[in-house]
Amino acid sequence: MILTPNILARLVAIVIGGVILQLTFFSQVALFHVSPDLLPALVVVLGLLGGSLTGAVCGFSAGFLLDCLLIVPLGGGSLVLIAVGYLAGLFRERFEIHSPLVPPLLCMGLTLFAEIGFGAVELMLGLDDAPVSTLVVRDILLQSIFAFFGGWVIYIGVRRALRPALVEEALPRNRRPSVLGT
Amino acid sequence: MYRKQVRRRRAVLALLIVGSFALLTVTYGQGSDGMQRGVSAVFSPIQSVADRALKPARDLVNWFDETFDAKGRNARLHEELEKTREQAVGAQAAEAENAQLKKLLELDESGTIPGGYTEVTGRVIGRSPTVWFADVQIDVGSSDGVEVDDPVVNGDGLVGKVAAVTGGSARVTLIADHSSAVGAKIVPSGIQGVLKPSVGDPGDLILDFLDSEKRVGKGQSVVTSGWRGQGVESDYPPNLAIGEVVEASLLQQEAQQQVHVRPFADLRDLDLVQVLTGGSRG
Repeated sequence: MILTPNILARLVAIVIGGVILQLTFFSQVALFHVSPDLLPALVVVLGLLGGSLTGAVCGFSAGFLLDCLLIVPLGGGSLVLIAVGYLAGLFRERFEIHSPLVPPLLCMGLTLFAEIGFGAVELMLGLDDAPVSTLVVRDILLQSIFAFFGGWVIYIGVRRALRPALVEEALPRNRRPSVLGT
Repeated sequence: MYRKQVRRRRAVLALLIVGSFALLTVTYGQGSDGMQRGVSAVFSPIQSVADRALKPARDLVNWFDETFDAKGRNARLHEELEKTREQAVGAQAAEAENAQLKKLLELDESGTIPGGYTEVTGRVIGRSPTVWFADVQIDVGSSDGVEVDDPVVNGDGLVGKVAAVTGGSARVTLIADHSSAVGAKIVPSGIQGVLKPSVGDPGDLILDFLDSEKRVGKGQSVVTSGWRGQGVESDYPPNLAIGEVVEASLLQQEAQQQVHVRPFADLRDLDLVQVLTGGSRG
């Protein structure tokens, strides 16, 4: 990703917009009694398009903003989303993405990882005495499924928004690129 | 160049992780109210606007979820309703059966059934489908001691007699069947006659061959006469309740020598009956 002030501004807008949309919309709707959590999917997409560094920074920023707005202990959300963004970026740097199914699948897998990570952070921060319902497992799985579908849409939207900065978009037309190919 | 990039990337990652842990430490150590309050103050208006703007969309999505949920709840409630209805019907049936058995018990204890008879209780398991034959099948047969021509009663009165038996079931010809003829008498006057059916109307029996010199009044009871003589005897023991006179005009009695009788037993709706086995018929 070619980072220019314009692209940086877009990234900031995407992160802030994503956090606000998550808090004001997705967290307040219920599908099958579960609210979708699309923030990890957004961070995954940013990591896939921008690389590990962009993914990690965006993850940290999104987590920090989320914790601030939710007025919860700072750092927990950042820690998890850094890992998510970094892993997504690392995947993009190590492997070629040949199938359009890869981004949504990655969103699904890393959302699962993030939700478990959030649980682990909560446990570290003092959830040890509270009884945990087995319904949590169902909710996490459902959120991962939502992330699969949501990730697809987010990937298309964010890719369009960051198109000028994406290296593969600047490739000559006679060269057949992969989905994110180089 | 590449190594430099990797080093920088790792350094930033380490910085971010350390920053996160630092934030955690700060939050738990001194609190971060000021920082959070500042960020909230900046973003609260944006959140507020977004919240209001997105409310219709939220309502729409939640409406779908609630509709889906309501559909599932509706199906569940239907299932529960069916179960409850089954239970209620079962309870009503048990109650009706209990009432019938109580009546049969009262019949046994009242001494109406003459001595020497053994009562075999059976349940109606089949019914003739045509209006021309008033037969029912019961679930007791020869293995229970039931024999052909045994009288059959229920808690209200005489029902009919056994027409055929198998090991485990019997066919009962009701007193409303066209082939039935029961020797009967009016109580307390003792006027005798033969009770015959009015085909197609099990609620109306005709007491025929009455003595035209004697008068029968409406509302009088009719019981089996249990006659016997010259080697012939009635299939029914005496004094089994049959019904009551419902129509007894002077013209009918004088010209046709008959009155109309309504049976006590509801012949259209039989469930539990008792077969009177053994005993002397006359």
